[in-house]
Amino acid sequence: MDDIQAVNALVRRCVSGDAGAWQEIVQQYHRRIYNICYRFSGSPDDASDLTQEVFIKMYRTLSTYDTSRASFMTWVTTVTRNLLVDHFRKGKYDRITDSLDAAPASQEDGLTLAEQLEDKAASPESRMRSKETQQLVHEALRRLSPELREAVILRDLQDLDYKDIAKVLSVPEGTVKSRINRGRTELARLLQRTYKQAG
Amino acid sequence: MPGETQSGMHCVEVEALLAEALDGALHGPTLAAFEAHQQSCPTCRAMVEEARAGMHWLQGLSEAEPPRNLVHNILAQTIGALPSEHQAVKPRGEGWLERLKGRLAPIFAGVATPRFAMSFGMAFFSITMLLGIAGFHFADIRHWDLSSKGITKTYYATQARVMRYYDNMRLVYEIESRVRDLRRAATPDNTQDMQQQPQQPQPEAPAAAPKNPSKSENRQQNRDHHTYGRDEGGPELAAFPLPRLASEKAGHEPGAQLHNLPQARQTRRTV
Repeated sequence: MDDIQAVNALVRRCVSGDAGAWQEIVQQYHRRIYNICYRFSGSPDDASDLTQEVFIKMYRTLSTYDTSRASFMTWVTTVTRNLLVDHFRKGKYDRITDSLDAAPASQEDGLTLAEQLEDKAASPESRMRSKETQQLVHEALRRLSPELREAVILRDLQDLDYKDIAKVLSVPEGTVKSRINRGRTELARLLQRTYKQAG
Repeated sequence: MPGETQSGMHCVEVEALLAEALDGALHGPTLAAFEAHQQSCPTCRAMVEEARAGMHWLQGLSEAEPPRNLVHNILAQTIGALPSEHQAVKPRGEGWLERLKGRLAPIFAGVATPRFAMSFGMAFFSITMLLGIAGFHFADIRHWDLSSKGITKTYYATQARVMRYYDNMRLVYEIESRVRDLRRAATPDNTQDMQQQPQQPQPEAPAAAPKNPSKSENRQQNRDHHTYGRDEGGPELAAFPLPRLASEKAGHEPGAQLHNLPQARQTRRTV
């Protein structure tokens, strides 16, 4: 609660023209916004440009932030997400999505995904140690549809709760959960297919 | 019911509870029913396994490191200032211009684009060219006196110029009007009119001039009489009886004299 009040005070200082307060906000949130943009766009350069655009938009509209409606974090995430969606609609980022209807390999092979992952003799956590694996997961994330991608990014990477995600995406909580489930499932299938092709 | 197993939970319910189950938020009988359904339903078990694996993959992603100059660029584009560690190097008192730039930068961020600059350049070029054709030169601006005294002086000078122009135009029109009158007086039709007017009051003494005729009228009248007399050989004899005859024939009608005048002249000539 103290954190919320501190952030609100920071925002008030910034709205009243305190450049130092704005600098603090930038320092505090730029990493988070950059990561959302990076995971959504898939490109570091695009993420850098988009992050700057998000902050410019925030700087212009900071006075419209209503402390009673949502937390500052939710507001920042909403601004970021809306800007990403706008860019996506403009066609800057194409949707590269594999169909959710693709038959899971587990059914084809008669093995569950967990069993297949066990066959590789390594847990997901251990695979994450390698940079290559990180890149594979990042690429798979890029191939999700935007709706699923934004839902899993906000939940699994930004650790927002379902209520906040529902506010950011302007959809009911049930839809948020459904999208998160589908996003996770599809990502696992994509990775499973990738590993299968690799060997 | 379809999808219902011995646990009493449907596949739809499992799907709805999946997110919370993976978060570890299910407890008690709900968790037990969820687990029991999973064991008995291979489709739901596969779905749960895949969702769990996907979640682990995602949560295993490490945070991406933003570029070093990102904060610097953001601050430069919003408030036009550098981060505090760079600002400390700068001496105090130099920041007002930068602060002003910082305030203006976000306002003009939308127009500070190559496309806008191109359009502005083309518009400026067109306007400059039009002004050049119209005879306006920017170099003349520095000769303008824009002080209050200078503006007042320019105002009165302009007013005086307008007044002078007005007076000159009035004089020109007056002269034109006089010239037009003279020209009208010089034409033959008008000469006749002028000739009649002095004859009416004293028809019996045509040689006597009107009391106050203008010089030009007198001259014209004399010339007519003289010409008439020269042609006919005797102006007094030719001119005298005719008006009298005409007035007698008219029988005191007011316009008869004028109507009969050409006839009278014709008669005189035949005489």
